[in-house]
Amino acid sequence: MADWRFIMRFIGILLLAEGVAMLSCIVPTLHFHDSSVLDILISSGITLAAGSILLFTNRRFTSVSDRRRAYLMVTLMWIALSLFGALPYFITHLTTHTFTHSSILTSLADALFESVSGLTATGATVFADVESLPSWILLWRSMSQWLGGFGIIMMVLAIAPRLGINKYSLYSAEMSGADNTGKTSIKMSVTVRRMLSIYLLLTILFIIILIVSGLQLWDAANLVFTNISSGGFSIYNDGISRLTHVQQYIVAAAMLVSGISFALLYDLLFLRFNRVRRGLDQFRFYLGLTLLAVITVIIGLHFGMSYNWQNSIRYGLVQTVSVITTSGTLIDDTSLWWTPINCLFIILSLCGAMAGSTSGGLKSMRILILIRNVRTLLHTDMHPGSLNPVRLNGRPVSQELITNVMVIFFVYMFTMLLGTMTLMLCGVGATESIGATTGCITGYGPGLGPSGGFGCYAAFPSAAKLICSFIMILGRLECLTVFILLTPKFWRR
Amino acid sequence: MLLSVISLFMLIPLAVALLSHDGAAPGFALTLAITVPTALLSLLLSGRDKSYELHHRESFWITAVAWIIIPLAGALPFLLTHSTTSVADALFESVSGFTTTGSSVFSHPEQLPYSLLLWRSLTQWIGGLGLILFLIATVRRLSEGSLRLYSAEFSGTVQRKLHPRIATSVSYMWTVYILFTILLFVGLLIGGNSIERSFCLALSTVSTGGFLPSHDAITALTPFSTTLLTVFMFLSGVNVALLYYLIRGRLNSLWRDEEFRVYTVLYLVAVGSCIVALLLSGNNTATSISYPFFHVASTISTCGYCLPQPAVWTQWLSAVTFVLILTGASSGSTGGGIKLKRLMILIKYVSNYFTRMLHPNAVFRVNINGHPMEADYVEKVFGYVFLYVLFVIMGGLVLTLCGCDIPVSLCVSAANMGNLGPSPLINSMGATFDYASLPSLAKLFLAFLMTAGRIEIFALLALFVRK
Repeated sequence: MADWRFIMRFIGILLLAEGVAMLSCIVPTLHFHDSSVLDILISSGITLAAGSILLFTNRRFTSVSDRRRAYLMVTLMWIALSLFGALPYFITHLTTHTFTHSSILTSLADALFESVSGLTATGATVFADVESLPSWILLWRSMSQWLGGFGIIMMVLAIAPRLGINKYSLYSAEMSGADNTGKTSIKMSVTVRRMLSIYLLLTILFIIILIVSGLQLWDAANLVFTNISSGGFSIYNDGISRLTHVQQYIVAAAMLVSGISFALLYDLLFLRFNRVRRGLDQFRFYLGLTLLAVITVIIGLHFGMSYNWQNSIRYGLVQTVSVITTSGTLIDDTSLWWTPINCLFIILSLCGAMAGSTSGGLKSMRILILIRNVRTLLHTDMHPGSLNPVRLNGRPVSQELITNVMVIFFVYMFTMLLGTMTLMLCGVGATESIGATTGCITGYGPGLGPSGGFGCYAAFPSAAKLICSFIMILGRLECLTVFILLTPKFWRR
Repeated sequence: MLLSVISLFMLIPLAVALLSHDGAAPGFALTLAITVPTALLSLLLSGRDKSYELHHRESFWITAVAWIIIPLAGALPFLLTHSTTSVADALFESVSGFTTTGSSVFSHPEQLPYSLLLWRSLTQWIGGLGLILFLIATVRRLSEGSLRLYSAEFSGTVQRKLHPRIATSVSYMWTVYILFTILLFVGLLIGGNSIERSFCLALSTVSTGGFLPSHDAITALTPFSTTLLTVFMFLSGVNVALLYYLIRGRLNSLWRDEEFRVYTVLYLVAVGSCIVALLLSGNNTATSISYPFFHVASTISTCGYCLPQPAVWTQWLSAVTFVLILTGASSGSTGGGIKLKRLMILIKYVSNYFTRMLHPNAVFRVNINGHPMEADYVEKVFGYVFLYVLFVIMGGLVLTLCGCDIPVSLCVSAANMGNLGPSPLINSMGATFDYASLPSLAKLFLAFLMTAGRIEIFALLALFVRK
């Protein structure tokens, strides 16, 4: 019982933070005068009220004792935030009819989809015409991604290890808070502070760079919010295609940086090179894969779609980085791109960027471990009895971690198959189902066909939108944490 | 040692050539003229060291090389009878045969000489139980190394042995196989089919190959023959060792096998859901009920025959088809795919893993049929599935380069990797996939996928591993 109360208290705190963030979206309306202040006050009011009720009724409860509750908490946290995060869309829809569907139920599904897509930093949208939205909704979309991106890093680097989730997970090896003996000796608040400072630093840095390159503060802030978090919402219908080339490259740089593990960024920034070495293998793999993919896509664009070299290089570079970091920012209507490139994008978004970054997908560290493990397996097949453990950063990887990676890979593939099947059952076409499932589980966002590129998910049936929202949360929490809640074992005492 | 494999060939083309009085005889004679001396030469060259002992590495080599050289030789008849002028086509067809895939570049096979059709079906039949099993059964001299070879060909799945002596159990398996072929042949004859068609169909069905003697060979069948084919397709997706028990009347041990139960349940669930989906989408009752039985059996056993489509296609059918292509049939059967046993192991393992997430210190084992699986083995299965998915995706990428859209590419790639073959129906258009129009390189890549899927990847990759 005490655990439940603690979970409620924790969610209460988060809701308060969310409400404050919502309220802060009032700022642009002072300049643009295009939004109803009442909408903002109602949405944030409800969120703040719910948050404070949860917090104050349970304020004495301060810890989670049980592992089960920890899993439950992480999932509930995301669900609660998404539900309340849907309020702005829903309330705005009630007053100004922003969604294409008129019925209350379908617009609820739409609002939830958009909210989940924001908070999980996915970037799939149901709005066909975002430019017509009031400015506070645009800011809330960007803001929710920015918060979501930070939430992910926090969950992975600070909350999860403390709750004992995934004792053998990827991050324990690399996390700043963990010392060499593997004990989490540094307090959670220290990790939070460190990560928050990096996150804020990156955000401010890129906003300044973009402003210097000639962008308005409004555009720059929205861009950086959605790209540092690997989110990918845009305030324009055509992504970043109207930016100057230099600005596009700056956005690509922001995405590339956000694909680096934040623990590694911290160590790099504070020149703790002895720690940097621990994450180097993964870093090298991430950069190598990005480089290879960029070159392949550039060649594909030039020869497959006969773009000139200059455009191929620009499009190839920016879009590929956007895919690998699962950002989903679009420089061109990728749904019109050559099919093999889109197929490659699916593979790349599945790979994802570094573990401990804001990006989604399987993460380069897992891919690296999977590949090295297969090599080891082949070797032991040839020479039975020989001992050659999988090594990462020069140190052997524990069997537990390898198992964890393989289980996640299998469950991930299984989820994708299941997701595609259920979407097809809802009446979505095969191509679109594959695209939507990949886009949602990896956090890339755009799918294939009408829901890909500059298109949107508006035409999906409501059931399919709810399924997509669920897949996004699954992908964000890396499947296992959510799936364990669905096993009967979890609820058996 | 290794090259003695080739000597096996001379028997088959010889038989076919003798059978054929339709103008293809010179081609086969020419094939013989090439293969027989090669085989004899290699036998002479290697014939001395009889006491040679097979090591792990060599057994992988033999398996992989056998699966490369034999299809090469098998491609000769297609070229030498002037059925096709393209080397890639001939190779594709031959590999597709030996791996029991059944993808064909000939959209109207009835235009080929009958002897060649027979040769196509024969390649599937030989490949059905695996070239190495064929070898073990015929070349007695191999006996000491045969266990290693045996496990190299079935690298992933632990086989149940029917008899302590490997050669004996292999010959049991061949007996079962031959018996089933004859049963189906006779059954089809009774069903009113011509001898030629019955024989070809029997060979292709029991091996879960899927080559057709004519483009309408399935659509023209009577309901009786269709049902017969359904039953035999279903059975050929079952572990051959279990079929042996079936023949011996030990139904108990058949049902006690976990994999068989999963196979049956999966089949029934897939059929049931497809029937419901077809009925709901407004097809007439007769088609809705008869179509799924045949289609699901053909897919799950990776045989790959296609009945004429129901009037209204539902997406659910495509989805089920794709899943079944991936899962494939039982281990130790003639079918392909990832194999149910592997998936069972993984699912059980993952389920244990969930429990361990709650109770970190608990220790679990994965049991199949009451036997615990070793941790190494489970890990190998995980590695296998990873590679399998990787290969399927790579194949999909290659096919998109040839202008197919993504679902079709993935499906065709998975179908060839899983040795299913003819186009599974992923979209409402659903016409059989036109392999003939693919570029040569794509055909060769698909042939590579088929081989990788048939010898279960590891043996093939072993060729690329440095010592």
